[in-house]
Amino acid sequence: MVAAVSVPSQAQTVLRGRLCDPAFVHSALRSSPDTNYSKLKYLVASSVSEACNNSVLLLGPRGCGKAAVVDMVLDDLRKEHPDAISVIRLNGMLHNDDNCAMKEIARQLCLEHQLSFSKMASSDDNTEFMIDMLRECGLAHKTILFVLEEFDLFAQGKQRLLYSLLDAMQSLTSQAVVIGVSCRLDADQLLEKRVRSRFSHRKLLFISPSLDDIQLLVEHLLILAKDSGLPAKYITDYNSRLTSIFSDKKFKGCLNSLMDADATTSNILRFLFRAVSYMDVESGFPSIESFLKALSSMQRQPKMDSLQDLSILELYILVCMHRLEDKEQSSYNFTSIMKEYRSIQDAYKTSDKYASTVCFRAFEHLLDRELISFGDNRGRNQALEYRPVKLLISSRELAQSLKLNTTCPVVLQKLFDRERYM
Amino acid sequence: MSQLVTPRRATRSSTADPVSPNSPSGSRPKSTPRRQPVPTAAAKEEEGEHERSTVDALLEALPGRRAQATDLLRLLAPAPALPLLLHGGAATGKTRALLLALRHVRPRPRRVAYAALRSLPSPRALFASLLTQLSPPSSSSSSRLRIPDKPSDFVAALRDALAGLSAQGEAMYLVFDNLEVVRSWDKGGQLLALLLRLYDLLRLPQVVLVYVSSATPDAYYSMTGSVEPNHIYFPDYTVDEVRDILMRGHPNPKLYSSFLSVALKPLFRVTRRVDELVAALEPLFRRYCEPLGDLKAVPDESIKRRLFEHIQPHLAVALNETFSVPTRTSVDECKDRSSGGKASSKRRFGSRDDLLTELEFHMSVSAKYLLLSAFLASRNPATLDAALFDSTGGSDNHRRKRKSSQASMNMKDTMAEEMLLKGPGTFPLERLLAIFQCITSVSEDYLGDVECPDSMMNGSGMTGLMSDVLLQLSTLCNSNFLSKSRSCPLEGSARYRSNIDEDLALKVARSVSFPSLKYIYRR
Repeated sequence: MVAAVSVPSQAQTVLRGRLCDPAFVHSALRSSPDTNYSKLKYLVASSVSEACNNSVLLLGPRGCGKAAVVDMVLDDLRKEHPDAISVIRLNGMLHNDDNCAMKEIARQLCLEHQLSFSKMASSDDNTEFMIDMLRECGLAHKTILFVLEEFDLFAQGKQRLLYSLLDAMQSLTSQAVVIGVSCRLDADQLLEKRVRSRFSHRKLLFISPSLDDIQLLVEHLLILAKDSGLPAKYITDYNSRLTSIFSDKKFKGCLNSLMDADATTSNILRFLFRAVSYMDVESGFPSIESFLKALSSMQRQPKMDSLQDLSILELYILVCMHRLEDKEQSSYNFTSIMKEYRSIQDAYKTSDKYASTVCFRAFEHLLDRELISFGDNRGRNQALEYRPVKLLISSRELAQSLKLNTTCPVVLQKLFDRERYM
Repeated sequence: MSQLVTPRRATRSSTADPVSPNSPSGSRPKSTPRRQPVPTAAAKEEEGEHERSTVDALLEALPGRRAQATDLLRLLAPAPALPLLLHGGAATGKTRALLLALRHVRPRPRRVAYAALRSLPSPRALFASLLTQLSPPSSSSSSRLRIPDKPSDFVAALRDALAGLSAQGEAMYLVFDNLEVVRSWDKGGQLLALLLRLYDLLRLPQVVLVYVSSATPDAYYSMTGSVEPNHIYFPDYTVDEVRDILMRGHPNPKLYSSFLSVALKPLFRVTRRVDELVAALEPLFRRYCEPLGDLKAVPDESIKRRLFEHIQPHLAVALNETFSVPTRTSVDECKDRSSGGKASSKRRFGSRDDLLTELEFHMSVSAKYLLLSAFLASRNPATLDAALFDSTGGSDNHRRKRKSSQASMNMKDTMAEEMLLKGPGTFPLERLLAIFQCITSVSEDYLGDVECPDSMMNGSGMTGLMSDVLLQLSTLCNSNFLSKSRSCPLEGSARYRSNIDEDLALKVARSVSFPSLKYIYRR
């Protein structure tokens, strides 16, 4: 027996589907003129229709929608010229070895044109095959589009792939467009001289959206249209509630603090996804609390959280290390920490005096949590007790965590504060 | 400690098959095997209840994890979903919560592929594991499946396998457990970047990626621009939550709660990890129940006070141990506990010193002397050897009585600090053998009245000790009492270093009645 899916959960599914679909997210760009989308589309469409070669670089920080724009343009072109293009996609992270890249190009070409692909072909064979295919496709008036993601990773090493690709495009018969996508704004400076001379210096720059753009984007993503497949009354109620939330000052504050940290589209999408998932399915409508909750769960500080999870003995060890650092000991190890620990216990006679093995286990826990780490890279030569260690948290974080910890003994706080006034 | 057998992790077959209701509960529950996992919840599942009891069933199985469980259920389903990262300390229940949530999530996932990265040695093994789990069950032999070597081939193969499976439109979950171990693999950085970008590379909306890591998310920020996943943080349990977890399903709750009210808080100051607490609490509980004849009894105030007094010294010892190895002495002590043992136990537990008087394991006499000579060789600078080990075999105490000036005291302070920092020094083999010969010649005089029944030892004396010294050396190296360090670049001879601390050396010395204090160089 399948329980009927309630309307709010349906709405939630629809919204989540939208947020995970890059084509929908950036579809607002289709309508507005003079965006990168329209420029790229014009460029590629004109190359296809005029049967010429071209190359372009899309540059911009991570999460600004470069790959999404490329996908949208390709989709549009496939609809407009169904037989005239074939697409080869390469990724610099996966295919940065030239042989591997050539093999992948040959494989994708074979896949597109229903040829059988031999895995045993050597790199030279693959290169020849690619040049031949370019010529053949050029003669058949078919454009090959090469999409090179992580373009800057292709520019490492000898750049053999880039050179052969761009060189093959120089011949009269070939019709190819190379679209490079990179997050390094100086990706074209990385090219060798001979490669750069064959590259047309067209660059499209992507920037993070501004606050107004974000506002528009959020509305575009969350407002349900009439044809979403949900009952009309629910849609109107939902939209009215949503608009009242958008005009709420707290929501604006939310967006501002989010944008202060990271203003890219992917960050906003993550925030909205979380807020939509936190939507209360019982009441069925979004509320400002779900947005605020999503924001707070995105703005955690992992080191402070780890510090709250420590036991008292582990806090003692951290305070001892801090005291040693304050005494300007440039390097110290577990045995010196133990010496400090015992001197503290002798001076203050607390109830927390434990054996050296127990302290060492607490020390290893701290190493696992990455709150402290070894200061050398020497590895295996020395016993763990003698390798120099250092703190990976600042004294401000330690002070704050001691204050927040309700079970922290007073003497620990005193030990930590006392050194400040010495 | 052998009682704390952690129940077997959910194997791939059980997680990959979400429809079986009675599959064993998820991996690594905090409790010992006698606690009931989720049979009642599993039975309810079959009736198709609505969401509220799903959440309740999940919360019932995961004590103290209300916020995380609700987050998990909301963020995991329905597909499509952004990737998810669960992070928290060790033994906080991340894997268990995730696998239970995947079983309770609605709609039912088509397939769950689980990659336990801690048990996979290399990237290729990871590729093999995932592809085998995702391959259709109809393919009979796994040898037909070609395991890719390169990441690009793997991504292509993964995409094919997933596309083949997701034809029906149901969600598929890929779980990567213990993601932090990938950082230490060979070419781990590349693989980590690949795994974190898998969402972008696959572009399949029905696939949901979940990562579990005990390192914080800032360990994974890299320049390769992963799609940043949604984080869920699992904090450590508080004292009350630990108490609830431990109390679950115990046959005698009142007795156990009175025990926990005594024992849990002090142990909690030392460590907050539930698995270590359980390992420490089990033997203590057995000791606690010793005065009681009947384990089912409900204690009243007077009994509680009596039990408390009984457990108090044992608790003090347990606080200073990381794990207890049952030795012969402790077993004997249990046997004659009723007779005169109390006096000796009081002496033993009286001080909180970690210096027990006896050596807990057996070593041959020559091995003990070798160990002592190694300790002295590491501890003392080589220049002192002539003074300490002269022909009379004893140290010349007259040198020690020189009045020390302020400058020499400062120098001694700095040398002591240096010794703390640098650790034990290295020594060549010749020095070790020289000290060994010296020590054994000295102790021959002391051995006259040693109660050694071995007549061969008394007869051959020093040659008896020297005969297999090189064998003993390699044994000590293998047991990590000595370690071999880099050989000297000038001479090319092997150098060794002793790894034992002073307490153990003194215990060994005491067991052969060796006056070690005369020889150890102090500040």
